[in-house]
Amino acid sequence: MLQHIVPASGLLFTLQNILWINIGVFIGAVFAAIPGLTVILCVILFLPVTYSMSAIPGMMFLLGIYCAGGYGGSVSAILINTPGTPHAAATMLDGHPMSKAGRTKAALKIALYASTFGGVFSALALLFLGPQVAKLAAQLGTPEYFMVCVFGLTIIAGVSGKSMIRGIIAACLGLFISCIGADPMTSYDRFTFGINRLYLGLDVAVCLIGLFALVEIVSRAESKPGELHMDTRKMRDNGTITREEYKRMARPTLLGSLIGVMVGIIPGTGASEASWFSYSQAKNMSKHKEEFGHGSVEGIAAAESANNAVTGATLIPLLTLGIPGDGTVAIMLSALMINGLNPGLTLFTTQGDIMYAIMLGLVLVNIFMLIQGKLLTPLFAKVVSIPQEILTPIIVIFCFAGAYSVNKNFFDVGVALVFCVLAWVLRKLDMPPVPILLGLVLGRTTETNFRRALLISNGNPKIFFSSIYCWVFVGLIVLAVGAIIRGKLNEKKRPAQEE
Amino acid sequence: MKDKMDKLGARLREKEIRIPVDLTAGIVFFLVAGVILLLMPSQVAVSERDVVNGRAFPTMLMALMMICCALLVGKELYKIAKKKPLEYKTVNLLVEVKALIILAILVITYVLARTTGLFVVGAVFCALAFLLYFRCTKPLYYVITVGLAVGIWAVFRFLLHVRF
Repeated sequence: MLQHIVPASGLLFTLQNILWINIGVFIGAVFAAIPGLTVILCVILFLPVTYSMSAIPGMMFLLGIYCAGGYGGSVSAILINTPGTPHAAATMLDGHPMSKAGRTKAALKIALYASTFGGVFSALALLFLGPQVAKLAAQLGTPEYFMVCVFGLTIIAGVSGKSMIRGIIAACLGLFISCIGADPMTSYDRFTFGINRLYLGLDVAVCLIGLFALVEIVSRAESKPGELHMDTRKMRDNGTITREEYKRMARPTLLGSLIGVMVGIIPGTGASEASWFSYSQAKNMSKHKEEFGHGSVEGIAAAESANNAVTGATLIPLLTLGIPGDGTVAIMLSALMINGLNPGLTLFTTQGDIMYAIMLGLVLVNIFMLIQGKLLTPLFAKVVSIPQEILTPIIVIFCFAGAYSVNKNFFDVGVALVFCVLAWVLRKLDMPPVPILLGLVLGRTTETNFRRALLISNGNPKIFFSSIYCWVFVGLIVLAVGAIIRGKLNEKKRPAQEE
Repeated sequence: MKDKMDKLGARLREKEIRIPVDLTAGIVFFLVAGVILLLMPSQVAVSERDVVNGRAFPTMLMALMMICCALLVGKELYKIAKKKPLEYKTVNLLVEVKALIILAILVITYVLARTTGLFVVGAVFCALAFLLYFRCTKPLYYVITVGLAVGIWAVFRFLLHVRF
């Protein structure tokens, strides 16, 4: 590791990288602060901007958006009792009551410090755990890789949405869409319906613009137009946090960071699950349980540290196995692969300097998030009140420009529109979109490994149970399915018990 | 005109359709999988020498999808037989009409940009159409939004060198 750190630092500490980190952090915090705009939407919109960049500045820019998005969501949660992003919902429970009690700046500061700690903790976990997991991944052959993909897809299908069956249907749909175009083994065209352009397949970024970004615009039909009126004059406290409060923050922040890292490593789970889990654990362990829900320092610290501690951990399965930890990092895979960086051990050996620069950069991203948070939070707070009338067309124009610039072709804009309609129909049928995204991202890898394994075994499916690693993943799949079904059953029982 | 639209909106708001969501999703995706399986021979060419051909993976996916759909439908039919309540989703007609209007704005923006070959034309239309959709009456908002639309086009065109 040490042999990579020095050259990686040289690659990382350039004016260009520092600039892109700061632009990313600023955009991410602003986007996440606006209710209704999510981090995933922001990453999709700005992904095409990275196509003309090299790997390090491109990834630094996207990681800046990703990490700052974790903090930005808490701004509107604390100020106007509306989480900017879904994972800031737990922060809202104590952040807003604290703000109502006249301690808005203090609440924002606690959220910022906890987010930064969680983010740095997670970045260090990536730095130390990533190469070890990559070494393990290097021992996997094609049947094992297929099982890894099935494992990732199973968890994602299980935890996204209300029902596991729906998740599997959605994952199948995503995997099927990835089959459109040239066959990866024989180059025969598949499902092109005579449209030549489809031979190249559908670009993941273009599909995502339709599935996640444009559909958000169509969903504005469900909301009433109007502004969110937020009085920034409320931020009149001096933001002092007492020594006692710092002491009380320490334990939930550390706990939240640990939970965030553990949850983040599991594919398919994300910041929302981590922040709620951490919040409930902090509440159980607290000596001041009665303060939770009424402006508890521990509550804010636990939720915020956990949702930012997910950021580095989600990159561990992405960089080592090519399995994205959540939807947002799935999009970052495109930015990596466009620069010829394919996940796995080779990424840490042959491209080690670049990889370590990216991992060290994640620490830097969190430091700049702290600096910008301290200096610019009043500005982030003001953007909460940007009118929908202005914001909506601007997002559409970004989406169209982004879709066009992927291949410099209007065909892709049309594809994005088709996926927007598909996403709207899926929404009406309560189908979760994240398994589709993962199916799209993992489709080629899953199919290629499936077919190669069968080719090696002359069509005998026993090859998928031929090694200890295969059995480990079979065991993990069974365990995951069992845990998911148990969780869903408990969810169903809970409302009945509450009644 | 505004009053007429408000009256129409109020009438549409009251109209709701309840969809048995699991049953519908199960049937729709079962049919989708069936159609894809039927289209497979005409859409995926294979060679007899292939041990595992290009149809194997999509066929496996569609079969899995059909099994899941059958489970969804079966679960709902069991509920009907046992006279248990089904899961419904309420669709409001006003929301759907508004969604169609937004979709129309998106499609027209795309058609304008594509036929003129000038992305900026579509961008300006999009900005104006959404301001009208939101019934915006503030001239400043029009100036800001159109200015931003042209600005985004300029950034992509001159800074990121995207020729459109």
